[in-house]
Parts: sequence; C-alpha cells; structure tokens
Amino acid sequence: MTRQKVLVPYNFTENDRKALDFVIHMFASRQDVAVTLFSAYTPAPEIETRNNTVMEKIRQNLTYLKQQISEQEDKIKAVRDALIENGFSRDRVSYLFSPIKKDISQDIVDLVQSEGFNVIVLNRTSGKISRFFTGHVFQKVVISVKDVVVLIVT
Amino acid sequence: MTDNNRIDIGVLKLLFDAVTGSNQVETMANRLTQLLVGTLGIKGAAVYMVNPEFEALELLASSGLSINYINKGPVLVDKSIKLASNREPIVVSDVSKSNRLQYPENAKAEGIQSIVSTPISLHGVIIGALRLYDAAPWEVSEHDVEYLSVLAQNLGITMMYFRLANALLAVKDSVDAIHSVWLRPTY
Repeated sequence: MTRQKVLVPYNFTENDRKALDFVIHMFASRQDVAVTLFSAYTPAPEIETRNNTVMEKIRQNLTYLKQQISEQEDKIKAVRDALIENGFSRDRVSYLFSPIKKDISQDIVDLVQSEGFNVIVLNRTSGKISRFFTGHVFQKVVISVKDVVVLIVT
Repeated sequence: MTDNNRIDIGVLKLLFDAVTGSNQVETMANRLTQLLVGTLGIKGAAVYMVNPEFEALELLASSGLSINYINKGPVLVDKSIKLASNREPIVVSDVSKSNRLQYPENAKAEGIQSIVSTPISLHGVIIGALRLYDAAPWEVSEHDVEYLSVLAQNLGITMMYFRLANALLAVKDSVDAIHSVWLRPTY
C-alpha cells in the first residue's frame, strides 16, 4: 500500500491544536496515512571556551535552558501520544524535534523535499502583527513547494 | 557595579551581538531571551510586539516560560501591567503584593515572583515590550533598568530594520513574478 506522508508543523498554539483535531478527523482511520509532527527549537547558546565572566554566568544557567528544551520535547511526545489515543496506530505516527537551521518556513520546505512528504498541514492566525516582520510561514511554504498538497487550518 | 546590578557592559555587549547578529527577527528574539535568562539567572524572558488592531501584546519569542503561561490569554496593552499604558519601564518586585497584573493567578501558578517590563519604542511610539520574569522578588537597580532601556531602544531599531527588509523582500518577490514577456515593448 502506498503511504501518504503528512507533515504537521507544531508550535503548541491554539491553531496548532485545531490543526491536530483536523488531522485526527481526516486521517486517523486512513491506514495508508502516516503523520509526522515537526517542532523546531532555538538551541541553547554555544559556550565559548575562552575565559569570559559572561560566558561563565551562562554556563551556570545552561542546564536550565537545556531542561526547557527537553521539556518541550516531552510536550511534542505528548502530542504524538494524543494522536495514538485518537485512533492512529503507533507505526503511523512519529515526531521530529530539531534545532532551527535556517528559519522555520525554510526548514519545513527542506524537510518536505528531503523526506518526500505528500501533504503539509499548516495553520494561519489572521491579524498577527508579526507577519509584518517575518511574513506568513504558510505563504513562504506554499510558494516554495511543488507537487505537495498544502492544507491550511484557520 | 553594586551587588544589586546584574547587567554589566560584558552582558550588554553579548545581548547586542544577539540583536544585531541575527538575520531573522524570530531567531534574534529567541536568542535574546535565552541570553537574558542565561546571563541574568532569571526564570524567563519574553519579547512582545504591540498589535494595534487588538490593542494587545503579541508574543514574538520567550524563554523559560511554560506553554500554559504563554497561552494564558490575550495580553492587553493597558491591562497587562497597569501603569501609564506601559510607556515607562515598570518593575513589579513582588507580584504577590501588586495589583498591576492582568493575570496574577497565572503568574503565581508559573512561579513568577517579579517582573520587569521595558517598552520597545520607535520614534516615540510603543511597538513592543521586553519582559523579564524571576522566581524570586527582585529589587531591580536603576542601573539595570537603564541598561534594559538601552537594549529595548536598540530592539526597536532592529525591529524596524526587519520590518523594512521584509517589505523589501515582498516587493522583490512581486517583481520576480513578472514574466519577461510583460516587459517587452508592444509596438
């Protein structure tokens, strides 16, 4: 059976939750659909080796920052488990938790191309002021991908 | 520098490097909040932008704060920290003794004891806020407030740069989308 590979970028917002509900509703009963959750994070600052009092301060607090990132991974695992509880078999659900490489939209595009996803489920919040500074993720993704179905939850 | 001061010129330089060295506004804001938490040893930090349509602060990036706290509800400009519409730096040294917060119960549940809010402004207009959160009462020194204000001013200029760069990229995309056939003379 040919599998449809669905990518769901997830950042723990209300609209992400709506998108997840949509994924459950649309794909949970479809045995030919595999879903991958994708959550990207900003890695903890690099510590320079040279003797520097500021870096020493960060070193002391680095554990806390890394713990925060680790907790974020636990939360994306919980989202994966929610998919399983709502009808997906374990072998059809996975997650990717990785540091941001370029920017979130480009990372999504790169992932779609490298892993061969057929469907992307994005969401859009209207009226966000940040669009003036960063542009819409969905817009950047839509114009950059080819031969991929993009579903947008609003 | 007195014992009360947490920010020195070395810390400020590192924060400025994060602000000026990033090529994406979200990367810049995420890196900045991480460094604030890391260097000052505080619980969390966040950068907000003012959304004039909803008169609310919109989260751009945060570090050290839980998802529940981040999603606590709309942060209204005039209500989130009630003082002069957030036009001046505001220090809430002990949230349990303050009536200024919009979500005091959420702050308590998050383990936040003190908040410092510095407006991010440009040309006299408030466009955002830089907020620091600590798990202990914090008597922030005037020196640190001054340094945070300088940092916030630079954030305002940087955000304007990202706004213009984003607009320019949108124009470039539109121009790139024009097929050369439309540029040929028709006579």
